[in-house]
Amino acid sequence: MQSYGFIINNERCIGCHACSTACKSENSVPLGVHRTWVKSTETGIYPDTQRHFQVTRCNHCDNPPCVRICPTGAMRQMDNGIVEFDGNACIGCKACMQACPYDSIYIDPETNTAAKCHYCSHRVSVGMEPACVVVCPAHAIIAGDIADPDSEIARTLSRAKVTVRKPEQGTAPKLFYIAGSDVNLHPTVTERRPLTFAAADALPAPGGAPPREHDQPRANGDARRLPQLQGLPEHGPLRLGGRQAQHMAQVGYNAQHRVPWHWQVPAYLVTKAIGAGVWMLLALAWLLDLASYETSTAIYGGAVALLMMTLTTAFLVLDLERPDRFLYILLRPQWRSWLARGSVLLIGYSTLLGLYWGLETLGHLGVMSVDLTTYRPAWLLVLGLFGTGVAIYTAFLFGQAEGRDLWQNPLLPIHLVLQATMMGAAALWMAESFGVLNSELSSVVRWTLGSCLLADLFVILLGEFGMSHASEVAARAAHEISGGRFRHIFWGGAIVVGHALPLLLLTVATPAAQIGAAIFVTAGLYAYEYAFVMAPQEIPNA
Amino acid sequence: MSSRAESLRRTESFLAKLLRLAPATSQPQDRRPAASTIEAAQPLSRQMHQPEYGQVDAKPVDMTTVTHPDGRMTQYPPPSHWDDWVQWDGKHWPTKVAHRYALVPTTCFNCEAACGLLAYVDKSNYEIRKFEGNPAHPSSRGRNCAKGPATHNQTYDPERILHPLKRVGPRGSGKWARISWDEALEEIAERMRESRKRRLDGIMYHVGRPGEDHYTNRVISAWGVDGHNSHTNICSAAARAGYAFWSGADRPSPDFARAKTILLISAHLESGHYFNPHAQRIVEGQAAGAKIITFDPRLSNTAARSDLWLPSWPGSEAVILLAIANHLIQHNLYNRDFVRRWVNWEQTLREAPSFVEDEATRSWIEARLAAGDPCFEDFEELLKKLYAEYTFERAAQESEVPVDRIQQAAELVAEAGTRLACHNWRAAAMGNRGGWQVSRCLLFLNVLTGSLGTRGGTFMNSWNKFVPKPFAQPPAFEAWNELHLPDEWPFAHYEMSFLLPHFLDEGRGDVDVYFTRVYNPLWINPDGFRWIEALRDEEKIKCHVALTPTWNESAWFADYVLPMGHAGERHDLMSQETYAGTWIAFRQPVRRVAMERDGIAINRTYEANPGEVWEEAEFWIDLSVKMDPDGSLGIRKWFDSPYRPGEAITVEEYFRWIFENSVPGLPEAAEAEGLTPLGYMRKYGAFELNTENYAPYEQLKATSLGGVDVDGVGRVGFTTPSKKLEFFSPTLRDWGWKEQAYVIPWHLPSHVSRDEIDRGGGEMLLLPTFRLPNLIHTRSANAKWLYEISHKNPVWMHPEDAQRLGVDTGDLVHVETEIGFMVDTVWVTEGIKPGVIAVSHHLGRWRTQDGGEHGNIGSGMSSLVELSSDAEGLRRLRIERSGGPWQSTDPDTARIFWEDVGVHQNLIHGVHPDPVSGAHCWHQKAIAVRKAAPGQRRGDIEVDLAKSQAVYRQWVDMARPASVYSPDGTRRPYWLKRPLKPTKKAYLLPGRDPEEPAP
Repeated sequence: MQSYGFIINNERCIGCHACSTACKSENSVPLGVHRTWVKSTETGIYPDTQRHFQVTRCNHCDNPPCVRICPTGAMRQMDNGIVEFDGNACIGCKACMQACPYDSIYIDPETNTAAKCHYCSHRVSVGMEPACVVVCPAHAIIAGDIADPDSEIARTLSRAKVTVRKPEQGTAPKLFYIAGSDVNLHPTVTERRPLTFAAADALPAPGGAPPREHDQPRANGDARRLPQLQGLPEHGPLRLGGRQAQHMAQVGYNAQHRVPWHWQVPAYLVTKAIGAGVWMLLALAWLLDLASYETSTAIYGGAVALLMMTLTTAFLVLDLERPDRFLYILLRPQWRSWLARGSVLLIGYSTLLGLYWGLETLGHLGVMSVDLTTYRPAWLLVLGLFGTGVAIYTAFLFGQAEGRDLWQNPLLPIHLVLQATMMGAAALWMAESFGVLNSELSSVVRWTLGSCLLADLFVILLGEFGMSHASEVAARAAHEISGGRFRHIFWGGAIVVGHALPLLLLTVATPAAQIGAAIFVTAGLYAYEYAFVMAPQEIPNA
Repeated sequence: MSSRAESLRRTESFLAKLLRLAPATSQPQDRRPAASTIEAAQPLSRQMHQPEYGQVDAKPVDMTTVTHPDGRMTQYPPPSHWDDWVQWDGKHWPTKVAHRYALVPTTCFNCEAACGLLAYVDKSNYEIRKFEGNPAHPSSRGRNCAKGPATHNQTYDPERILHPLKRVGPRGSGKWARISWDEALEEIAERMRESRKRRLDGIMYHVGRPGEDHYTNRVISAWGVDGHNSHTNICSAAARAGYAFWSGADRPSPDFARAKTILLISAHLESGHYFNPHAQRIVEGQAAGAKIITFDPRLSNTAARSDLWLPSWPGSEAVILLAIANHLIQHNLYNRDFVRRWVNWEQTLREAPSFVEDEATRSWIEARLAAGDPCFEDFEELLKKLYAEYTFERAAQESEVPVDRIQQAAELVAEAGTRLACHNWRAAAMGNRGGWQVSRCLLFLNVLTGSLGTRGGTFMNSWNKFVPKPFAQPPAFEAWNELHLPDEWPFAHYEMSFLLPHFLDEGRGDVDVYFTRVYNPLWINPDGFRWIEALRDEEKIKCHVALTPTWNESAWFADYVLPMGHAGERHDLMSQETYAGTWIAFRQPVRRVAMERDGIAINRTYEANPGEVWEEAEFWIDLSVKMDPDGSLGIRKWFDSPYRPGEAITVEEYFRWIFENSVPGLPEAAEAEGLTPLGYMRKYGAFELNTENYAPYEQLKATSLGGVDVDGVGRVGFTTPSKKLEFFSPTLRDWGWKEQAYVIPWHLPSHVSRDEIDRGGGEMLLLPTFRLPNLIHTRSANAKWLYEISHKNPVWMHPEDAQRLGVDTGDLVHVETEIGFMVDTVWVTEGIKPGVIAVSHHLGRWRTQDGGEHGNIGSGMSSLVELSSDAEGLRRLRIERSGGPWQSTDPDTARIFWEDVGVHQNLIHGVHPDPVSGAHCWHQKAIAVRKAAPGQRRGDIEVDLAKSQAVYRQWVDMARPASVYSPDGTRRPYWLKRPLKPTKKAYLLPGRDPEEPAP
């Protein structure tokens, strides 16, 4: 079995960027996106200063998370070990970009589909080396079959000291660096969003330029230089990894990546939580006989859930770079992807709910005589279970996003169920003001909403943000939320508006307070999800 | 197409309509080949467009497996398949879209290294798909730097000039009319004919990037005028002079791959003159155990890759080199035998009393001379006495380099023995006044170690560069253009081109027809506002013809702008000294060659080029013939075909004759493949004459035939007057530079030495010479892939200096030189010497108007500026709009994400002609560096012409003119090189007899 890989020999690389332009030329790569680039960093104190180069690109992982997460099989691992992509199958969901811990994938502005280094498969398939290998003046790039013991790459690999990027992600990268520099290998060692590069503009940082650490005197009063941020997160006393030495570690050049997912994703999380939560709660209440069944409540709950599921679908499709291809998820699913699995759950839930709601509504309007009494417990059970699935699956999807450690949280399935229940309760609490709920249900909803809010607060403050995080990257993202750029959204939006105010309003039983509580909970959840979705995406992976 | 795919496509299309969200590209475009655009003898494409490539039914065939010793895959299509090569398209993969290509070798034009390129020309429509490396090229060996593949950007630049343009309205007003080539040729030839009839110094060909050897020089010789002007004086003049005084040859050619120690005073791993070929071999040498020593005040990429970085204060390099030399001398670590055999030590000893400054040493040598024939041991003793003052400690003090690094460098040089490979092209030699002594002191180390022309040593360029003779060579002209080589600088290497505006201003002459050839004088030279004045002056420069493949700032001030070809659009022949062997490379118009392979008749290259882009080789023939239609000026005959008497030569015939008659071994190599010599070069694009050429000076040559006696044996020797290596230079002594610091390798105080810069008073040293590895002098702004990586040139500043000035990365800083100031952003880094600021070359391109139908200087990659001036002599440039996205035929221009495209720093450089070499000494004294004032904007520039004039005068006054110092009434030592040597008679100073003694 062949297993193609790369060795980048940093003892030979001269940082000339020939590989970068040869790749642009060979693969017609548009401006602004890169299949391979030469990251460069500067370290040290004059005259003991050093510049480090790192040819950076897809690692053609042996265990590629981008392939697992891809809902249509556009990203795929070939028999020869090359991770290729098929632009014709890509729907532009950008999940692969979230799954890649190395920022190696981009959206091609011409096709609006994902693209990356494909190892010049079109050349390799006929016995030619990749364009970057051929052009390299210094023969710093070695390509070949690692499994062939006679190949240059296998022989070099067997005796050289090599390192890879982020081995802890378990991706088994097949791009090995000889004399890899830790400053290049670990993107969080240097300033996260440099203001500029040495000879190139940097994309403006979201939310404006970060504040700079300025010089502080030594204990004896002498001046001390802190040339750059050295792995210190902004605003706060936390020191998370990074270098502590008082010397320069700055990025001279790097490719720049835009955030893949935007407002549509937190919006989808909110509408999905409502759509799923309403029936999780109703099914539970009615099945456990905590309240007696009311057709009008079912119709209201069904209408709300169906509306929310429609919005959920719309947000999902809107976020696609190729919305015209959204049906590919169903037409050519890749079943290991939680995007594909989730789509089935969404569609299954919406279809069953629609059917049930339709029958109930038609019966209620007297258009046709329907008696669902006999099968109602079964219906409720199925809808409750599907709703739970709809609520939970995103946790597994986020779990497949190897590039976003914060999302890979074991608490997340529980948290999503909790959020969905809370949102279901909020939606029904709003209905209370229209008098749709009977008194039993009203009390259930009130108590559910109140306890969910408290539980959610507990999970967020003591779980998500109270605990230490397993990886530095996750900790940085969490810190961005609770103490960094998203802190206002988080504390003001998610905590105060989303939890404190609704809890207060729950004590008041007026229609206005009920509507207000529901709106605040929804806004709070959006604020929370926005921070939760955006912050990890801003931590660089390359 | 499978039905499943078809149904998907239909669904997709339906949904796209439904949603109205589909991006424009939702439908895969039909990429079937367009009908062939070739019609016999019709120009192919009149308008610039982005290429489409055809697809074919054929599939790529797996290549024959070639088992390389290291187990690598086969890298290149074998030349036997170059006529018809099918390859999958990389962008569409895994959809298998195959293209059928003709692979045509050519030579890169993006620096002077002349690396090989292999153009992939689509056989269905003759569009160039890409440029890869040419594996048959012995120097570049199939590899390239970033600039090679970017040739494609230049070829399909949406702002290309495609037709000859003529100015309408005043110069510089930016109004152009498209004219035909016939009109252009007729009008320009008429002006030239008229000038040539009147005088022999009215036509000036000013070349930036020659990209060829000899062809145009022959044309100028045929015109019989002193018309060659070059950019050498802002590039390599000082280094050349230092090498020339030693050896007669003016450039080094190190054998890096086999060296034990590599000493670089420049940045050869990123920007040396022969960057890619040299970088390959330096890395190869290092991998084989060589140690690299680099002198540079800035952490260059080369310094970063070096084993030993010596961040020397500019101007102190010679002191370090002499400290290393002194180490070899005092510890007897030098190659005694080599020095004894090849250095002019007898002459040195004889003349020593005239130059040795130390009294004790002088008395000693006088006593030795009085005692009879001095011997080699006396010379050794003299060296010990002369250089004893150059201790490591002194070098460390003057250079501010840690003393242990200097000592280590000395030890590495000593260990290298005859495997010492050194290079200095620009850098310290060109930065400092007296910089020519840097390369002289550097070669001193090769002389001491006997590493000249040895395996792993340092060669001279003339041993490895081969320029074949054409079919007929016009005789030397009898003229001397004072605007090229004026009286003040008899040793200038070469033309004092950067002072042209000052000369014109002083009334030293005028120019009838001024050609700029891939040259942007107003942008690249110091004191650019003076150039704007000169180019605007229609009295002084009566007709300016810009031959250029892209727009440039100077072309804006031309009368005619004539579009010329890029690397794949012209014929040229080149050779460079890039390693121990010798080679020639052929540049070809690749579309033309591909069409001709398919039997399409092409008479002239422009028929196959985009628009009406010509190649100069054809242009010069047509122009010269038109200049002398009846042969009365004696010009036309040099352009008659050697194959078809009486008819004008074709470019193909020109090179055919050379390949058949002037390249030893080529006809035989061609025959072995069943090809004509021209056919061989068309197929492979390069030919290696020999793989190594060690120590050619040792070859036997009888003294009666011009050889030199070494230990009783006649040998070829060097091209100096003594045919030895001239440690002591009688030439410098004879022409008025008698002092010890000039006649032997010594160190001269620079204009930016530590003593000259009042650091306490806020002065700093501005180092403006460094280059970025992926940019092309002044032609990058039309190459998008290159600008994407580097597009701005902030001021590098050490954190201590930044702290002192209260600035940080990204802040604006005001940098004031002797003649003006600029405002630029700061890049704070530990990779620069404290006290020195550095700003990279290449960037800060500008235009005064937007777009227009005739193209521009990378609209998204240059700044739109406003030039202004006042009566006081103040000149200003202000950026109105920086770079940014814009719409063109290339969708990529709308994706430009950067804004800062640099600051045009050369405008604020005063001219610094070195009194000996004539080189522009690039380093600038920054008399004030401070945080920019409110209201100042990036790119703001102001220059005071009165101050610039004063700086010019101050430097001119340091020169020692030939009219005062010439020992024999000539303008210049005849043995020193000139790009085009006139007759000996032309060397005579006006009104002087030969043999008139010097005053």
